[in-house]
Amino acid sequence: MMRFLLFAVPTILSLLVLWRRDRLVSRGALLGVAALYLAAATAWWTGWDVVYLEGRLAGYFTIDSLALWFFTIMTLVFAAAAVYSLFYLREHEVSPQREAGYVATMLLFNMAMTGVLLANHLALLWVFVEATTLTSALLIYFERHKSSLEAAWKYIFICSIGITLAFVGIIILSIGSKSIGSLFFADLYQRAGEINPFWLKMAFAFMLVGFGTKIGVAPLHAWLPDAHSEAPSPVSALLSGALLNSTFLGLLRFQGIMVRAQLHQFANFLFLVVGFLSLLISAAFMLKIKNYKRMLAYSSIENMGILFLGSACGRTGIYAALLHSAAHSLSKCSLFLTSGNILHLYGSKRVEDVRGLLQREPRTGWIWLLSFLAIAGLPPFPIFLSKFLLIMAFFEVGMGWLAAPFLLFVIVLFFGMGGAVFRMTFGIAPPPPPERGEGVHLVIAAYAPQMLLLILLLAIGINLPAKVLALMQSAAGFYSK
Amino acid sequence: MSGILIVLFGTTILYICAASRIEAFVKTLALQGLLLFLLIMIDVHELNWLNIAFLSLETLLMKAIVIPYFLLRVIRRNEIGREVAPDVSQLYPLQIASIIFIAGFLMAYWAAGTGMVVQPLYFGMSISVMMVSLLLIVRRKRIITHILCYMTLENGIFLLSLSVANEMPLLINLGVLLDLFVAIYLLVIFFNMIQEMYDGNNIDVLTELKD
Repeated sequence: MMRFLLFAVPTILSLLVLWRRDRLVSRGALLGVAALYLAAATAWWTGWDVVYLEGRLAGYFTIDSLALWFFTIMTLVFAAAAVYSLFYLREHEVSPQREAGYVATMLLFNMAMTGVLLANHLALLWVFVEATTLTSALLIYFERHKSSLEAAWKYIFICSIGITLAFVGIIILSIGSKSIGSLFFADLYQRAGEINPFWLKMAFAFMLVGFGTKIGVAPLHAWLPDAHSEAPSPVSALLSGALLNSTFLGLLRFQGIMVRAQLHQFANFLFLVVGFLSLLISAAFMLKIKNYKRMLAYSSIENMGILFLGSACGRTGIYAALLHSAAHSLSKCSLFLTSGNILHLYGSKRVEDVRGLLQREPRTGWIWLLSFLAIAGLPPFPIFLSKFLLIMAFFEVGMGWLAAPFLLFVIVLFFGMGGAVFRMTFGIAPPPPPERGEGVHLVIAAYAPQMLLLILLLAIGINLPAKVLALMQSAAGFYSK
Repeated sequence: MSGILIVLFGTTILYICAASRIEAFVKTLALQGLLLFLLIMIDVHELNWLNIAFLSLETLLMKAIVIPYFLLRVIRRNEIGREVAPDVSQLYPLQIASIIFIAGFLMAYWAAGTGMVVQPLYFGMSISVMMVSLLLIVRRKRIITHILCYMTLENGIFLLSLSVANEMPLLINLGVLLDLFVAIYLLVIFFNMIQEMYDGNNIDVLTELKD
């Protein structure tokens, strides 16, 4: 019932919003769906162990612990983005018609991501991944600039080609698994040994290229900095915090097949290559970054690389990757939303135009600074823990020497991003642009979501609740079962 | 008989490599749809009737009629004639495409040696068509041609999926078709907007965003 509601309510509400084109209806629908998703996540958290056992084999959509983990992250990011959207839509003086379009697309986008997370069938998962591309492309173009059109075009075209190649992977897998005759994950996991290794490897390679394009790991990242920097800030937060993760879940599920077919060495090698390449590329660009929204986008590439590294390093690595995915999503969501405030205050996306943020708007300044510390992994923020776990995982699988290049890249990225963030935060603020006047006032929706996310991050970092730990362990369980 | 159809399908992509008129490209796309439809009629027996009905509808109605008609209208409205000037030689793309075909078939025979049931002609042809489509996307500059190449890529994949002919549930087939259709629709909408906002319809105009 709950699963049905998660798909039915956003669909019906998006139609209603498009039909009524009324501000109140639109905003009510946005917040209502966010509340529904939060309620669903809470309900599943309170009974997750039961669900985990029963839900696995039933129907096209199931919620197992891996899905619940990513669903919770997506729900939190969506709720934050929904609340922030109230501020965004007000400040940009969006007409009720366009507001209805924004809300309807946002709801459908969120529904498509839910489909990716809950899908229990490989091809169904693919259908929803493509659906996320189509819906989010419209959101990227929302501001209707020349540059956002270019970003949307690159995004939809490159990702569609990529996802098409992932479909080739699915067909190749079904050639190799003819005797199984089903693409349900449950069947593929159970009888993974029967799949022909040659075809399975080829399928994995296609899948990696296809979904890797969508996740934006190097060298398939060409669209990512453009799309993430040109989209409206709440959409950027969703793209980076929720969409990348949900596609990553698709790859993790596929890796489950590789592990059971005893081919994880092959998968891990490719994951390591892609992961380190992503770190290298993002570090190289981070050192000469000029646009702070693009800076956040490159940081996403870096963090996706870290997720890939984690999933290549056995159970502890998966554990690190799961923790990292949550911590990255929440911190990055906070950063992207705050970048919307900065854009509003200074009217420019260039790092050099922004000075003295703490002086101009102390709340935004502090949130910006703290969110940076969270993403950089300073203790007690949980990214410190996940990176530490990842290094442990390197040693556990006998590749401890990988810790050296990893730390090198992380330090370079810290200095690259930190330099820009500190230049923006401290110093003397320039006079505000004339069209904005002196009295720039930020409503509570412009900073409350980020504050709540930061509090949540601190809480996880200081004391990881036993229930969260248990869920993570159960989610990492796909690796060895 | 199915062999002849598949070879004809391969020939269409070679023709696309050589043709410079965009309208000819779209008409060849329609022909590809028709060939795929005939192939389903002749060669696919393992599926139940509902799936066959769906696949025939998809190829005959969507791939051979609706999408080409839609694209032709866009092209005529925007008065797009040729991809390249008529005097530019199309020999190189043809040569590269031929090499891709050889590589595709070598790969197919190699793959056939793995003991899985796969028809080399299907597999080799669809891999070659996909690779040539990707090559054309990289080589050609017009945005509309990119959309058309995306369609030929999809057709190549469709051919591959026919060779498997496994029981993809109808619901999922429907989802795949919906995604494809919406993707084409959105790509064309974005294409029209680029046409309006930028001066020209070449990808070289998209240079606003860089580091």
